[in-house]
Amino acid sequence: MAALRDGDFAALQTLLKAPSKDAVRQLCQECFSSPPAALGPLAQRACPGLAVSAEEAEQLVSALHNLTRHVVYRGLTGAEDILRLFPENFHQNLKNLLTKIILENISAWRNEAQASQISLPRLVDMDWRVDIKTSSDSIVRMAVPTCLLQLKIQEDAALCGNNPVVSALTVELSKETLDTMLEGLGRIRDQLSAVANK
Amino acid sequence: MGLLNFTREPVPEAVSADMHNLNQLSAQQFSALTEVLFRFLTEPKEVERFLTQLSDFATMNKISLGPLKNIVKSILLVPNGALKRNLSSEQVRADFIALGLSEEKASYFAEQWKVNSPTLTRLAVGQTLMINQLIDMEWKFGVTAGSSELEKVGSIFLQLKLVVKKGSQLENVYVELTLPQFYSFLHEMERVKTSLESFS
Repeated sequence: MAALRDGDFAALQTLLKAPSKDAVRQLCQECFSSPPAALGPLAQRACPGLAVSAEEAEQLVSALHNLTRHVVYRGLTGAEDILRLFPENFHQNLKNLLTKIILENISAWRNEAQASQISLPRLVDMDWRVDIKTSSDSIVRMAVPTCLLQLKIQEDAALCGNNPVVSALTVELSKETLDTMLEGLGRIRDQLSAVANK
Repeated sequence: MGLLNFTREPVPEAVSADMHNLNQLSAQQFSALTEVLFRFLTEPKEVERFLTQLSDFATMNKISLGPLKNIVKSILLVPNGALKRNLSSEQVRADFIALGLSEEKASYFAEQWKVNSPTLTRLAVGQTLMINQLIDMEWKFGVTAGSSELEKVGSIFLQLKLVVKKGSQLENVYVELTLPQFYSFLHEMERVKTSLESFS
């Protein structure tokens, strides 16, 4: 999470040199999504398009990153709230453009932030199958139904970067275990409804 | 000896002698011994108790413990085989008679077998191999209040801890689910229950 710094808005004015509004839009999205460590390379890529020095590009990219992340962090949703962030002498048209771009992207960015939150390993998929056991070494003939449940679990996204590790766990449940589990899940559902109705 | 129901393998020679000795017991003694045996069969973990009861029986009836244990080993061959092969009480009775036990005692034992077989069958099924058996499930759910990227979040999360038996060890698996995932999971589990019930 980045906080807005004094030099940021001065750096943002470099955007006036951008070739088009779409270029600004593109840059905003890239700066938000990039983690702080990847801002350097991003600045180098943006440099030629903006006709600025490497140093200016770095400051700009960093400022855009801070601005977009700050808006998402604070949960600002209104145009006035965002406009208010800018200092008085900031270029009017650029201010309006940036505000417009931010508003367009804010909910997607918020979802992105929530999706990449730290968490325990996440369930990504589940499959099940019901088998009938007909025979075993302890009893030659039987007809016992049993359930096999496969859970696909993904490790914390932040730790894996672009290659999330997904492991599959297959568990076997007897009918009794399943009934107990359903009881527990039912209780969760009841508590969730109680919380929702408050 | 004709074909036996409870086993396809030849029976040890000592069994005939053991059955002959059993025939010498009074009806009352045989009934008491049968009770001890079935109590052990329905609670196979209570080995200490079983041995104590056998020893008491030996003392009370003035029988030596050593020979008694051999007799018990022979008797137990039949119910163990019968359980594996889902034998009826008729078949159990026939097998005991074929082994040399008196008709009266064979009928009595077969009767006791009939009474106890639901419990014994359930025990045998319970011992059947299970892969990664789910032993326990703990859960908690709460609200994410904020994070380093979002000052105010307010989203619900559900965390499950599944205790799974892998071989002889227990392993804990932690999973987090979103709310829609939870409802979907619950829905699927209810479908599984319906499916299992239709096969029971």
